[in-house]
Amino acid sequence: MIPWSLLDYADRAGELVPCFLGEADTIWLRALLDAYERFVGRRRRDLDEYLQAPLPVASPSRSLRRARHVLDMVWDNEAVGGVAPRALREAVFTAAASGVRRDLAFARVARRLGLRPSVVEGSLFADLPSERRLAPRPARLNPWELALRVNLAMAQALLRRSRRVRLDVEGHARALVAQAKWGGLMCVVKPGRTQAHLTLELSGPMALFRRALVYGRALAGLVPQLLWCDRFRLRADCEVDGEARCFVLRSGDPIFPAAEPRRFDSKVEARFYDDFRRAAPDWDLIREPEALAVGSTLVFPDFALQHRRHRWRRWLLEIVGFWTPQYLERKRAQLAQVGRRDLILCVDASRHCAEEETVARGHIVDYRRRVDPAKVLRIIERPGPIR
Amino acid sequence: MELTFDRGTLVLEGDAPGVDLGDWPGVVWDPRVDAFRAPAWRYSEVLARLDQSGGALLDRVPAWKDWRVYGWRKVVLRPYQAAALYAWQAARRRGVVSLPTGSGKTWVALAAMASAAVPTLCVVPTRVLMHQWRSALERVYDGPVGLWGDGQRRLYPVTVTTFESAYRHMAQWGQRFGLVVVDEAHHFGQSTRDLMLEMSAATTRLGLTATPPAPGPQAERLDELVGPTVFQARLADLKGQYLADFDRFTLVLELSPKERAAYELEYGTFRAFFLPHRHQDPTGTWVDFLRVAARSDDGRRALAAWRASRRLLAFHQTKAAALRWLLTEHRERRVLIFTPDNDTAYRVAAEHLVMPITCDIGRAERARCLELFREGRLRALVSSRVLNEGVDVPEADVGIIVGGGGGAREYLQRLGRILRPAPGKHAVLCELITRATPESQRARRRELTLGPDLPTPAHHLAGGAR
Repeated sequence: MIPWSLLDYADRAGELVPCFLGEADTIWLRALLDAYERFVGRRRRDLDEYLQAPLPVASPSRSLRRARHVLDMVWDNEAVGGVAPRALREAVFTAAASGVRRDLAFARVARRLGLRPSVVEGSLFADLPSERRLAPRPARLNPWELALRVNLAMAQALLRRSRRVRLDVEGHARALVAQAKWGGLMCVVKPGRTQAHLTLELSGPMALFRRALVYGRALAGLVPQLLWCDRFRLRADCEVDGEARCFVLRSGDPIFPAAEPRRFDSKVEARFYDDFRRAAPDWDLIREPEALAVGSTLVFPDFALQHRRHRWRRWLLEIVGFWTPQYLERKRAQLAQVGRRDLILCVDASRHCAEEETVARGHIVDYRRRVDPAKVLRIIERPGPIR
Repeated sequence: MELTFDRGTLVLEGDAPGVDLGDWPGVVWDPRVDAFRAPAWRYSEVLARLDQSGGALLDRVPAWKDWRVYGWRKVVLRPYQAAALYAWQAARRRGVVSLPTGSGKTWVALAAMASAAVPTLCVVPTRVLMHQWRSALERVYDGPVGLWGDGQRRLYPVTVTTFESAYRHMAQWGQRFGLVVVDEAHHFGQSTRDLMLEMSAATTRLGLTATPPAPGPQAERLDELVGPTVFQARLADLKGQYLADFDRFTLVLELSPKERAAYELEYGTFRAFFLPHRHQDPTGTWVDFLRVAARSDDGRRALAAWRASRRLLAFHQTKAAALRWLLTEHRERRVLIFTPDNDTAYRVAAEHLVMPITCDIGRAERARCLELFREGRLRALVSSRVLNEGVDVPEADVGIIVGGGGGAREYLQRLGRILRPAPGKHAVLCELITRATPESQRARRRELTLGPDLPTPAHHLAGGAR
């Protein structure tokens, strides 16, 4: 995250447009990376001194500072091996406290450790941040990736100041909602224009009363996740120098994405995905289909099963780990409330968490370690009126 | 009417007969949940108002009532500490107690916690202080002491945590503690971390400080969030009996001719840019200036010159010579050296072979050094900020301020570090300042504001380039 004072943006009628780095900037970014590369194994302080002078190619000074800020976070340091500075410090400073002269203190410690006094003096603070050595270049870090990382840090710095965020997303909504809730945000969901489209309004409970920076971290954490949506548009309301401004981020903006999310929540899901596709060539298996709005909450089924030719034949399927009959009934009733009776629940027979043996109504498939596609097919291929 | 706690706020659902909740201070309609909402710190007030209105109330907020606190051993207090405790209790257990550094604020807090006997969260500024509080608590509290921060994650009915952790987690903890003890409470009232106190529903609160804020917006906010200053003792009241006797003096030093020339050059470059700016924008803050300066080459040059001049003033040849003389003079005593920044601390450490205590030095090494200092195997420590607040070094009896003691608050904190009483102890605080620089101006301004707090004036001694 870069400090606010390093941020540059244009104010276009109330909309803050950050000055993102682009293709043209990769020239000086490459020069910057080369400078770091040249100082690998040398002290960070020396690099700082070297970079006081301008780079060999023209570089906008504030963008350069931003890039350095981000680069310093990504590029590791290592302490030099050999003599342990901590033990040296204790030896030297206690020797000095006993009243000997400076050079004698070094000489005495050096003799005891079998080192030269100049080595002792030179390694006294070798583990401090400014004395640490630059580690080799992080894997895959190239000028374009650095540009994307700087842009991400800028977008996050803006979001850190924001009070409320409105997100229009297609796909990946489940992970976004989960992460927002985990970060202590409140999430109001509204159905969007199409089935796949959702509008999420995110804000912290305290945001009602004051600008609370504590939520900024959670809001900023969403940005790299957005890149995994099929399409998104983010609008953040923020406050700059006491005035209301907004910031918009869309699909296609040059931002560094988060690591690829896990495709499946569990091994059972992953196995079912493979097994079912092999066993049922007539059916499409859609992972994380659109969410269903039930009252004020959202239900995200694990899979949708869609017949290839008869498009009206569509089922929802959820794989449940720990469960009780009450839980299954509540789930079924929830969907029945919005007129959906096409939910198949696959329940782990070994993880039945209730005492009584009541059987829930609805389409239930039980499994042990592996969901049998044949059992699912038996339900969905059953002739006759379905719903 | 049902009252619940939701992540640092109170949610008010249902009807209260004859009351318009929207008229109450701090209560706002929240369309996200179709209910009224108020920040958690208003819990006592909301409760009192609901009580007046007389409607039935289902109060789910005070989860602390279901959490059992173990027994407390008796905490023996000095007379002024007992008076402070009494004043806090009389103020319905909400308020700030102001006692000089070294006079045992923590003991007042321990006694307050014992008397309240509700689940308590102690929030302290640093990790070092967190461990110090934990060991103090373990001496008088029978149950396990929770610790949150510095890699520890244990939440118990009596828990110590850092400002930072409390800020991040209060949304979850706000209803679990009935008492919040805030160490160094002067950090609150005007910072982003105030949110931490706003998200707590604790009905009783105790703030501790050596330097309460002067009347103004910060003091008013602190009054709302923790309580008014209910008790205040000054250094002059305790000196000699409960705090060590002390002398303080200032050594006014001259730069060497070469350094003076270098300084004038750098500072001149800065002023050439700064003065016209000041003229244009007389009310602007330093941050405003930084923003303007960062936008032009001249401005950046001025800032670089300003930094260079600061670095020069922080530690120069004459200061080094004076420091060497002072260290020799007091070689039998325990000395704390205070610097304006870490960089200077390392310069002092390397030149005079004095152990530095900074944020870069790990916890284990710091603890080891403080132990060696206590034993007398280290006779001096140098630090910029770490030793300012609360770290317990009772043996120290000489303080040397190499720079950075500009503000009254920092000066008092540093003085407090050498005032833990011991039989026959007479502490000395010496400040090194450079003649005809902003350093000497700041020291002069500070002496004016310090007046009533300090019994003895500083003796000014002129030193020269040696």
